[in-house]
Order: sequence, then structure tokens, then C-alpha cells
Amino acid sequence: MKKTLTLVCCLAAAIASWGQRERIILLNEGNWQADNGRVTYFQDGEVVSNQWFRDINNQKLGDTPNDILQINDSLIAMAINWSNIVQFIRPDGHAVAATEDVPNNRKLATDGRYAYISSYGHECGTYGTDKYWTFERGYVAKIDIATFQLADAVEVGYEPEGIACYKGHLFVANTGGYAFQEAHDYETTVSVIDAATMRVVRTVDTGQINLYGKMSQAGPYLCINSPGDYYNIQACTIILDCDRVLEGKPDKECFVQLPYAATYNTTTREGHFLAVGSRYSYITSEYTFNYITINPTLVMESHGSEGVEASLPGTMLEDIRKMSMPYGIYVNPYTGYMYATDAGSFASAGGLHQWDAEGNYIGQWKVYINPAHFLALPPTETTDDIPRLKANHTGNGLWHDLYGRTTRPRKPGLYIHNGKIFTIK
Amino acid sequence: MKDSIPYDSLMRHERLRAVMVYARYPLATQQTLRGEELQALSTTSVADALKYFAGVQIKDYGGLGGLKTINVRSLGAQHVGVYVDGIRITNAQNGTVDLGKFSLSAMESVSLYNAHKQEQCQSASEYASGATVYLRTRRPTADSLSLQLRMASFGTWLAKGNAQFAHKGWSGFLDAEWTASQGDYPFRYHSAYEDTVGRRANSDIRYYRIESALFKRGFASHIYYYDSERGCPGGVVRRLSDKYVNVGREWDRDFFAQASWQQALGERHRIKVNAKYTHEYLRYCTDYPENQNTARVNNHYRQQDAYLALCYAFHPWDWLTVNASYDTRYSTLRADLKRFEPVRRLDQKQVLAAQVEWRGFQAAASVLHQHYKDHTFAHVGAADPLDKFTPSLSLAYTLHGLTLRGWYKRIFRAPTLNDLYYTQVGNRNLRPEYTKQWNVGLEHHFGSRHWNTSVQADVYINKIENRIVCLPLKGTYSWSMMNYGYTFCRGLNATANARYNVRRWTFSLLTSLTWQRDLNRTDPADKEVYNKPICYSPALSYGITAVATWRSLSLTISNLHVSERMWSYADPEDILKPYDNVDLKLSCTHPLRFRRTKRPDLRTTLGASLEVNDLLDEQYEHIPRYPMPGRNYKFTLTFTL
Repeated sequence: MKKTLTLVCCLAAAIASWGQRERIILLNEGNWQADNGRVTYFQDGEVVSNQWFRDINNQKLGDTPNDILQINDSLIAMAINWSNIVQFIRPDGHAVAATEDVPNNRKLATDGRYAYISSYGHECGTYGTDKYWTFERGYVAKIDIATFQLADAVEVGYEPEGIACYKGHLFVANTGGYAFQEAHDYETTVSVIDAATMRVVRTVDTGQINLYGKMSQAGPYLCINSPGDYYNIQACTIILDCDRVLEGKPDKECFVQLPYAATYNTTTREGHFLAVGSRYSYITSEYTFNYITINPTLVMESHGSEGVEASLPGTMLEDIRKMSMPYGIYVNPYTGYMYATDAGSFASAGGLHQWDAEGNYIGQWKVYINPAHFLALPPTETTDDIPRLKANHTGNGLWHDLYGRTTRPRKPGLYIHNGKIFTIK
Repeated sequence: MKDSIPYDSLMRHERLRAVMVYARYPLATQQTLRGEELQALSTTSVADALKYFAGVQIKDYGGLGGLKTINVRSLGAQHVGVYVDGIRITNAQNGTVDLGKFSLSAMESVSLYNAHKQEQCQSASEYASGATVYLRTRRPTADSLSLQLRMASFGTWLAKGNAQFAHKGWSGFLDAEWTASQGDYPFRYHSAYEDTVGRRANSDIRYYRIESALFKRGFASHIYYYDSERGCPGGVVRRLSDKYVNVGREWDRDFFAQASWQQALGERHRIKVNAKYTHEYLRYCTDYPENQNTARVNNHYRQQDAYLALCYAFHPWDWLTVNASYDTRYSTLRADLKRFEPVRRLDQKQVLAAQVEWRGFQAAASVLHQHYKDHTFAHVGAADPLDKFTPSLSLAYTLHGLTLRGWYKRIFRAPTLNDLYYTQVGNRNLRPEYTKQWNVGLEHHFGSRHWNTSVQADVYINKIENRIVCLPLKGTYSWSMMNYGYTFCRGLNATANARYNVRRWTFSLLTSLTWQRDLNRTDPADKEVYNKPICYSPALSYGITAVATWRSLSLTISNLHVSERMWSYADPEDILKPYDNVDLKLSCTHPLRFRRTKRPDLRTTLGASLEVNDLLDEQYEHIPRYPMPGRNYKFTLTFTL
């Protein structure tokens, strides 16, 4: 008995020193014009809150949050599209600053000193000040996080979407997404901007229209989705090598086009891309779904003939296939745990699904409407949370590893379950 | 209105009664507001009047310019047919009618029939909707001229003129109205985590409407033109300042001309011909420099619609009437959307109906055949033709003024042209959305020298299959129309009306009540949603209206209560709060004595009325983040010659 108690105490101490492992901030887009964008905070197998921003700041987040990004250890930025707000919060959720200088904001990138935001709008800054621009097409804005003031802005293509920062340059995927309504064509280009001077230094033509949606980055590689036009032009994926772009290689040598859709994509810890996508045609009303893992190095080397596998880690592929409406996919870069969201019927709460680093399904949690955009926070070193995990976690039925992460006891080892320690042989 | 008599009595007057065997007792489930009651209510448009009926849910985006559609017994707005003198108001584009566009000033009565009206010599399209709203145009019986001026809250002005005549069997009117409103009403959202105070921006509207009608015996005609411009304010969302507002604007120009002619052929036969031409123009524009948030579009939609109906009623014996009708409608829709090709639709309907009345027993049965065929050069091609038969059956028995009735109706709504062909959303493979309705009800009327009462109560079951909804496409970023959803609805509609006359006093009490359980039965596997109430559907709503009239002074007070409604299944806090909407109207008419006449209805009068809407200043909404105006006032002066 005494021995067990000692063991428990030691383990508790060990866990305490590891702190919280899985800390995920998830943006629920809500319904358009219903002002019900919400933040879910998920921590170690538990949804702490589905209105985290509101709980902490006693105000609503806004309408249709569209992206979230960690700028540095103490700052996170969120692009709240329909509210025209770029909201800055601390990792503990407290609002720090907000600006409406970048209306119709889309996606975020950072070099740790500035936040860069793509926008479909045509106006940037405040009229009557020296920080005010108007543009014919879309633009990228630069916000100084020391002052939360607008520093600069530069025009790119129509409706710029995905944005990534690599070696002092910004890579912006232009969609021309309003092309089916406005009098211009779809864009096919990636604009390359010198982040210091905010000048477009190069425009790479990918030959593929509508570079829309989530863009993932793995070292020098970008995974860019194109949904096509839903009529004659099929969806596809562009893998872009930023190094080759910066080296000045011809456009065609800078990217490879893959005949898969990557509607929802993410980067793994190995530097691969996981993607879930579908190709749809309004003419035939037919879908083709794909679930792929992309090894960008291999893809670039082989010009696309290798490096794409029609699989996802573990049981993820079968699990996602069972969802009614996949709406986001993410890998925690700190722990390798994997996540996907299911938007369900759009009027009901979406689901957050979790897999461990090997792709073993752990469970699902109810979040809010249209859960879409993820951010993992680094695991904490200290915690006061262990008593909860050990003593109070009697009813949730989950298994935790010694890091406090939810898991399934597949391998031999020590696990915590319902407040007790189990040895699995 | 003082100088009109109900259409029914006119028909009797015109000795058409021999073949027009009106059901003495109500076979259909029906509610009507007419004449004085209609005028006593605080109403500006047809939508305002309909909310007093049991079973009606109004969808209103707020303000004078907000789209107002009605939903009867949760069937959906597209299942409600709106008819002016028996001819349907159509919208081939989206199938719904914005009731805010129709004024009550030219109307004798507004009626709601669940399923359809049961009369002889009806056109096939009158059988073709799940619920029908009848607007009956007023037939003048004397010459008069009336002018009206109104000033109301939020910078609202209205001017209206009505001239009417009745001469040698001919009668007619010209009715014109002009309205402009800033619509910048204040709103407040107050909760534990929000205190938003503001004024509605881009919520203005201006419109004018000109209507004219001409009647002689069995001939009726109507011309209507409506021209409006309005702002589309959008939902109230978190913003840091008032820097960005929605700037979208909409223009509408609606025109229709219709004529109807009916004639008895001997004692046993009757024919009717209806014809109508409609032209609707809609422009939606967001192409302004201030627009940062949406695509800058400037789209124009034009639809035309030609309609012809031939109806024939045969009355071989006193107890039997047989009715056959053939309707055809040809619609076109053009729009300058990208990838949109003009669409033409030929819609043909035939109905065969029989009605039996023997002592207290009544029965009616109909079979409706509908055939839809579209033509378009759009890339996706036209939808396959639709060819369907649908039945309905009604039974009633009346004893000592008490009627027991039961009816069943199966009907569908065809996918609209938007549903099928709208760029990037339309889906040509859509199937029709079917409804089945069962209804059992009781109705009782009582009349004496001082008293007039009526009570009715109906319980019903509705099922809707293959709801046509817009859903996102799986694993893409786009949306499309789809058949998805099954609804099961049980409910109770009840109304009780009483009227008491004594000397120069008249007291009226109108009440209506709806209790409804409206369940989502789409997907049994989806535990979050299955068997939960349908979003926006209240469990309980009721209306109480009291009118007291003394001579020409009248006071109306009404309360409409709607219980809470959920608007999403995601969180129990996603509900729209219950509300009570109390309206007050005080009006008086004073004779001006500079014209001597023996007929009291021909005197020159000056009328004034004061209305207070939402007396309690409750902040409520029908759609989340689309606040309705709070307390507001209307002051109206009417001069009648």
C-alpha cells in the first residue's frame, strides 16, 4: 500500500513537471451575419470552453473568424472576417488590441515582429492619415505588433487568400475568388513580397485558377489548394518550392501540380502535408473525394510522379470518411496529435475529433458551429492541473499517458484512467 | 370601408346565385379579416394583417424595407400561394411573395385558407399550394375621393390617394401611394457579455405603388405597379466603429395586369376565364467604393410570366357540383449573372374536383395534375420534366351551427428557377418538396341582434419530405441546393371572435392561438438534431385584439405573443427570446358639413388616427441579429370626399 502510494506521488510529481500537453485553440466560424463566431479552448481531453473569448473578455468575438496565428510567445492574432477586425490576444485568452484597418481580412502570417494579413478589401488604414491606401485589387497589410499600428500595405492580385512567410518574403496565393460575380477573371498567381520593403518582387504563375483556402507550409514548401471553378476546371493542389522561387528559377520549375484537391490541409511534424479534399462539378453533380499524404520533397524531385499517398496516418482516413462534413484538419506541431472537425448539419454543434500521433482515434468533443481554424499552444512546463487530472477525472473514462495527454493504452506502459494508475503489459 | 359591400353579397345581388351554390357552412379551414376589422388593426401591409391569423409565422428582416414572408403551419414560405381575386401572384425566381409590397387600402378582405378554398369554378392553380392567402379587391359602390397623409417614426412619410367610382354597373378605383422612410431605428442588444446600442444603417426605403381596378358583373380586372429602392442593412455584428456598413441596395419594379371573366350558361353551367401578365425587375447592387466586404456586383433579374386559366363548373343537381380547370403559365427568367442562361418554364395544371352538399353533409375531392417543363441553354441543361398527380379530400358535417370537418391534402412545390439554375448554387437534379396535411376541426357560428360569435379549432399533422435547402458541398468551399430534410409537425390552431353591438357602441374581440410541435425527422443517426424542434418555429403563439367603437371613434389594442424559438441546435443559448408585441390604434372620423347629402356614406369627412406599435418597446427579432424596430408612432390624416 505504502509502495503504491509512493509510486502515485512520484508519478504525480512527474506529470506535474510536464504540465499540460494538448492545448488547442479552435475557431468556430458560426453563421454568416449572425455574429456568433466563437473560440473553443481544448486542453488535455477536455473542452474547457466553447466561448473562451467571451468568458475571458466578457465580450463577443465577432462574425466569421477566418484564421488564427501565434505571433510570438505572448501574442496571438485572429482575423475576424465579417467583423473587419484583426484581434490580438495573449495565449491566456485576454484581448490585447484590435484594429479595423484591414477590412475583409482573410489569412495571417508572421515573422515574429510583424503580422501580415491578406485582404479582399480595397481600402487599408484610416482615411486622412498617412497610413491609408486604396487598391483596385486585393492587398497584404503589415501590422507592427509593438504598436498594433499599420506599418505598410501592398497591392497583390484579386482576392488574395493564403499567405506564408519564408526567408523574409511573403508568398501570397491569389484567388480571384469573386470572379464568378465580378468583371475580372480568376487569378492564377502567387505574389512574392519582400516583407521588409513591402514590394512585390516576383509573381509566379501557376497556370491554375483560384488558389483558394487553407495554405500549409513545411520548410520551403507550400501546399496550395485550388478548387477550380466547379465547372470545367477541376480542383487540384499546387506544391510550391519557395527556395526555387527565391533562387529565380523559371515559374514552371518552382511548383508541381497534383491532380488532387487539398480543401483542408495541414503540415505534419515530419514536414509532410495531410489533405482532405473533394473535386466537384456543377455540370455532372459528381464528387471525387481524396484523402492524401504528400511528401513535398519527393513530389518536387519526381515532378509529381511520386510522393503522394492516398492514405492518412492510422485510422484517420476511415474516421474522417464517416464524418458528415469534414471542415478542418490539423496536426499539433508540439506533440504530433492530430485533429479534424466535422461541421455536421451546420445548424448544430460541430465535432472536434482527436487522434494520437500514430493516428489512433481517441475521441470526439462537441464544439460549436463550423469549427474550422486551429492553433496549438506549446505545452506548459508547470501546472496546477494535476490534481484535477488525477483526482477529479474519475468520470470521463479517458485514458491518459504520463504526459497527461489523452490516449489509448495500446502499448505496454503506465496509464492514468479514472484517477487510477494502470500498468498495461 | 364605408362604401363597399362584400363581394359575396354582391354576387348574390347580381342573381348569380342559381349556380353559385356557396357552401352554407365552412368546409375549408378559413380565417378572414374584412372591412372594419381590417381597418381597425394597425396595419400598413398585407403582412401586418396576416400575423393576426392562427398558424401564421411571419419572417421579417426588420424595418419597412425588410423582406416579409409568411409561413403557414411551418410548411415554408414557398408553400403559401398568395392570390389577388383568385389569380396567383407568382415569382418564378424564388417562389416567395414579399407581402410588404401589397397594401390593404385596395382590399376588401384578407383570408387565409389552410389547403385551399372550396368554391365552384376555381382555377387549377388555386388547388396547387399547401396554404392559400386570398386578397379580395374592394368593389366600389359609390363615387368618392380620399387623400391620406401619414407621418411616422424614423423619418417615415406616406401619401396616398384613392379615387373610385360606380356607374351603370361599372365600378373601379385608382389607388396610388408614395412612401419614404429613413428606417434608421435604434436597437439595443443587451446581455451579460454584450451591450450594443446603435441605429440601423442602410435601412431606408422609398416606393410608390399605383393600382387600378375595373369591374362589371362577372368581369374583374386589376393593374398593379410597384417601384421601390431600398437599402439592405444586413445583420448587426461586432464592429469596432461605424466605419463599415453594408451598402448593398435593391431596386424592384413589379407590374401585373390581370383580368377575370365569369359567366353562367343557363342554370347548370358556368365558365370562367382568368388571364394575367407579370413583369418583375430586380436589381441588386453592391458596386460601391465603400463596399469592402462582398463582391462588387450589379445584377439585374427580369422575369416575365403569362398566365391563362379556363374553368368550368357543372351543377347537374342541387347537391353536386363538378369543377374542371386547365391552367397554363409560361415564365421566363433572365439575369446578367455569370454563367447564367435565360430559363423558360411551361407550367400546366389540370384539376378535376367535385363537391357534394346534402343536408348538413358536405364533401369535396379533387385531383390535380401538374406538368412542368423547363428550357435553357445553360451548360448543365434543363431539369427533367415534372409530371405529378396530387389528391385532396375534405368532409364536413354541420348540425345546429356546429361544423365538424376533416381534410387531407398532398401537394408539392416544384423547385424554383433559382433552385435549379442559379449560378454556382442551382441543382438541376432537385426533386419536388412534398407536403402531406391532415386536419380535423370544429367550427361554430352564432348570431343574434346584439351578438355575433365564431369559434373554431383545428388540430393538424403535417409532414414535409425532401425539403429543398441550400447546403455546403462536402469537402469544397461552395454551396448548392439539395433535397435534404424531413419534418413532422403536430399542432393546434384556434380562433375565437366575438362582436357585440349596443346602441352606438360596438365591441369586438379577436383571438387566435397556435400551439405547435414541429420536429426534425431528417436523420435518426444525428442525435443532436433528430426529433428536435425545427429552427425558428415557436411552440406557442397567440394574438388578442380588442376593438371598441363609439360612433366614429375607435380604439384598438392588440397583443401578439410569440414564444421562444431556437435558431441553431448548437447551443441552448441560441434562442430568440419570446416577445409580446402590443399595438394601439386610436382613430376618429369627423364629418365636414360643406356638402349636403342624404346618404350618410357620401359625406365629406376628415379622419385622424394615431398608432403606437410595440408599446412596451420590446427589443425582439425574427432572424438573429436583424433587430425589429422598437416602439414607434404613426399619425395619419385622411380626407374623404
